[in-house]
Amino acid sequence: MIDNSKQNFLNRVRVQKDLEGASGESAVNLTNIDTLVSEIAELTPEDQQFLFEQCRSLSETNDELLKSFVTQAPKAFSLMASKGVQQWVDNAITMYDNKGLGSAVEIIEQVEQYAEEYSNRGIRCDFDEASTFIRNFVTGLGGRELKLAVDSESFTDTESLYLPDSFDLFPVADKNFSLYKLTATHLWAQTWYGTWRSKVVEKILKTSDTNQRLAKFNRLECIRLEAQIERDLPGLYRQFRAMDSEETEGKKIWDDWKSRAARLQRPGAKALDSLELVDEFAEDIVLPPLQPYQGEMHVNRVYEILSERIEREKEEFQSALQDLIDDENSLTEGTEDASKKIELELIEDEDGGAGDTKFQMSLDGEIINIPEHLQDLLGSIMQDLGEIPEDYMEPNENGEYSDKLTEQTETDENDVASDGEDGEIFRYDEWDCTRQRFRQRFCSLRELSIPLAESEFVDETLIKYKGILKSIKRTFEAILGENRLQRRQLDGDGIDLDAVIDSFADLVSGNETSEYLYTRYRNKERNIAVMFMIDMSGSTLGWVNDAERESLVLLCEALELLGDRYAIYGFSGRTNKRCEVYKIKEFGQKYSDEVKQRISGIRPKAYTRMGVAIRHLGHLLNQTQARTKLLITLSDGRPEDYGGYKGKYGIEDTRHALLEIKQAGIHPFCITIDNEAQDYLPYMYGKVNYAVIDEVPKLPYKVADIYRRLTT
Amino acid sequence: MPVEETIKTSQHFVEKEPYYEAINDEVDVFSAAYNNHLPILLKGPTGCGKTRFIEYMAWKLQRPMVTVACHDDLTASDLIGRYLVKGGQTVWVDGPLTDAVRNGSICYLDEVVEARKDTSVVIHPLCDDRRILPIEKLGELMQAPPEFCLAISYNPGYQSVLKDLKQSTRQRFVAIEFTYPDSDTELKIILQESQVDKKLGEKIVKFGRMTRNLKGSGLDEGASTRLLVNAGKLIQDGIKPVVATDTAIAHALTDDPDMLQAVHELSRSIF
Ligand SMILES: Nc1ncnc2c1ncn2[C@@H]1O[C@H](COP(=O)(O)OP(=O)(O)OP(=O)(O)O)[C@@H](O)[C@H]1O
Ligand SMILES: [Mg+2]
Repeated sequence: MIDNSKQNFLNRVRVQKDLEGASGESAVNLTNIDTLVSEIAELTPEDQQFLFEQCRSLSETNDELLKSFVTQAPKAFSLMASKGVQQWVDNAITMYDNKGLGSAVEIIEQVEQYAEEYSNRGIRCDFDEASTFIRNFVTGLGGRELKLAVDSESFTDTESLYLPDSFDLFPVADKNFSLYKLTATHLWAQTWYGTWRSKVVEKILKTSDTNQRLAKFNRLECIRLEAQIERDLPGLYRQFRAMDSEETEGKKIWDDWKSRAARLQRPGAKALDSLELVDEFAEDIVLPPLQPYQGEMHVNRVYEILSERIEREKEEFQSALQDLIDDENSLTEGTEDASKKIELELIEDEDGGAGDTKFQMSLDGEIINIPEHLQDLLGSIMQDLGEIPEDYMEPNENGEYSDKLTEQTETDENDVASDGEDGEIFRYDEWDCTRQRFRQRFCSLRELSIPLAESEFVDETLIKYKGILKSIKRTFEAILGENRLQRRQLDGDGIDLDAVIDSFADLVSGNETSEYLYTRYRNKERNIAVMFMIDMSGSTLGWVNDAERESLVLLCEALELLGDRYAIYGFSGRTNKRCEVYKIKEFGQKYSDEVKQRISGIRPKAYTRMGVAIRHLGHLLNQTQARTKLLITLSDGRPEDYGGYKGKYGIEDTRHALLEIKQAGIHPFCITIDNEAQDYLPYMYGKVNYAVIDEVPKLPYKVADIYRRLTT
Repeated sequence: MPVEETIKTSQHFVEKEPYYEAINDEVDVFSAAYNNHLPILLKGPTGCGKTRFIEYMAWKLQRPMVTVACHDDLTASDLIGRYLVKGGQTVWVDGPLTDAVRNGSICYLDEVVEARKDTSVVIHPLCDDRRILPIEKLGELMQAPPEFCLAISYNPGYQSVLKDLKQSTRQRFVAIEFTYPDSDTELKIILQESQVDKKLGEKIVKFGRMTRNLKGSGLDEGASTRLLVNAGKLIQDGIKPVVATDTAIAHALTDDPDMLQAVHELSRSIF
């Protein structure tokens, strides 16, 4: 406590001193200066500095105005961000120049009114408003995937584009939005047109006065990139020009630089050329002012990212080549000679954008398809190096760099067998998003069965939900009614015997005969197989588990009525070595007492390694014949397992598994009670393929209804 | 709909050489498969030239061709034929497949996965080395002549459940995979088909690539060659490029406002 107040006291003393320094005597003589000082002391250091700066400039304008500003300043900061405060002060000064002190003081004193207007104008464009668009736009432009992040400056480290948290340079929101787009595009152009090739970065770092040179290099690159964009993206080029500052002095310097750097504007000019030219500008003290969309350069940040990535991608590339060879060998069994040779040939090289180059790959002289991830990898390597160096072409089993995740989890290799229960072990690949490739046969999964429990649970549930069950049954019966056999059709799959007999009778008696003699089913023939995948992770303990079991009971009643084929499996596990699915009801099985007892016996187990469960159950589902196949997951949260399977990794693997089964023709759907699911489910399952249920007890009511909507 | 129309076959000789730009060695592969009486599976995303290719091959091999656009109500009898009652008498009418087998044509089942599953019953025996078509209702086993050829198409990119091709079916075919052509070839196609000038054509190709970059990051599929050709045609007809790409491409690809905006801006950045 004492420390705190002492600290506060010191703060106030410092603020008072700074304020005096910035604004001279006049402010300090204000009657309520003590209160003001302690209010100012509460502001963030940045805001304080900003305030003192304003004081300095106001003290050169007018003392009265300054005093009134200091009086209102704490309030102003509580109402507006510093940009707003700046505009407020600027506004007052302009008013002072044009209309005199009175009007200016009025503006300062009516700070509340000003702040309201400022926020209403809505001229600002925030990062959050622009980021989705920018991400899509930049992806469309091409090249390796770039992340977006907020920073006080605009720059790129070749992995992320750093952008300010808002732009309000222009009085129109649209223009500020465009400024975002163009700033991002300019940074994208650096990554696309080779500003940060590894050779360039190394060269910059070797020079002495790095910062000086970097600033000039930046300007020269602006010239080169602008010319590239003019050639490749003329529409964008026009938008850039429209955004340029009108300021004539700056324009003159730019024009001078451009004419001296004419060779950078020619097609084929490289970043190394810009770097070479820097020396020719050694004498230049005044640099052309950066346009609002031209960012800064931070070569050290680039270097960190670049060196790590180059090393990683080299290994990824080499091991991908090895995979190709392994695949080939496994096809041509027996003839396992190690001398397979992979060759790579550049077949299409577009001016500039290195990520756009096309390669042809051949294995022992035979042209092979380049797998997609290898294609991306090639693109990314080209962006960094501009070529694929010789030594990259040496296939390599396993780099030391990879498999960090494996180390954690593969220690207990014998674990699987020691479990006592024998049974088939299924192995599945797992998608490793950091390496952008599969960990082959990484997960071991077993099918276990659930111990039977008392089946009273089922009866109790049926009684508890008597009302809802009735209405579920009614709606489902209505669905069935839609699918009747249609008789007396002009054509169809079967003969309508009644009609034939009628028409035979007509024929015999000499009447005109009908041609409507066929039967056919209506279009919407129900031919559905559905797999329910029940989350049995530890987190479902309690309510969730009860709600899951109750939902299943209701579902089974409904499905029995519909006649859809269905299976129910639980899933859980701990690490990739012990992935487990629990049989509750198989496809061929009847909804028997045994199944009821299993439903009743579902209990929470361990973690949620979702990808492998999806792959396995998707596989089972695929073995059944049905026109429509659904995999419905009931879950309570995001995929998470012990030992590295979490966050992005878990989500990416799950997403990948879902894509795989989608490719195989299965519709995945997820019903969850995780309120945060909006963050990750749309990404994994797709925008329309999930439902979030906000309260656990509602689950049983909702699930049957969701199923109806899904299948009609 | 009158009965005669549902079973009328679209068998015809392709008289004029269709414009087809070979993308790979598909022409040779198809010819070889044809010579060896092997059925052919054309696999690839929509609008990449599969239909055009088969027309070209029919012309090249000088065979009549029958195209059946499969839909989810198409049954085996629709392919084989059926008895119809006409004025008190029953008449047998060949379906398009029977017709093709009889005449030694090329039969092209477009989007075969759309058809009912029972169609595989008739397709399978035609596709192994027996090459027979069982016509149950006539009690007949029809032997396909050497000139007969069955080709089916299939788009593996669809994520819908209804559109998966069974292993037992696909493993009977020689599969030719189609992808979007490389930039130069695609440019040639666009120039030829839409008659735009080279400079515009190049921009259209570039734009196509950008939309394909977005595949998987918001778009299910990038713009197909067909869509690019369509946009070219609109532009050639005086529509502003950005409007043409919006209408012929962007809205054909997606309804998502975010994606529409991105695709629109990408177009603006090129044209
Ligand atoms: N290789 C090509 N040569 C000539 N034209 C092509 C080629 N590829 C695509 N096209 C153009 O694209 C259009 C669409 O091609 P086509 O109708 O053959 O596609 P498809 O693969 O059959 O598509 P879908 O799967 O939707 O039926 C053609 O009309 C033609 O203009
Ligand atoms: Mg077609």
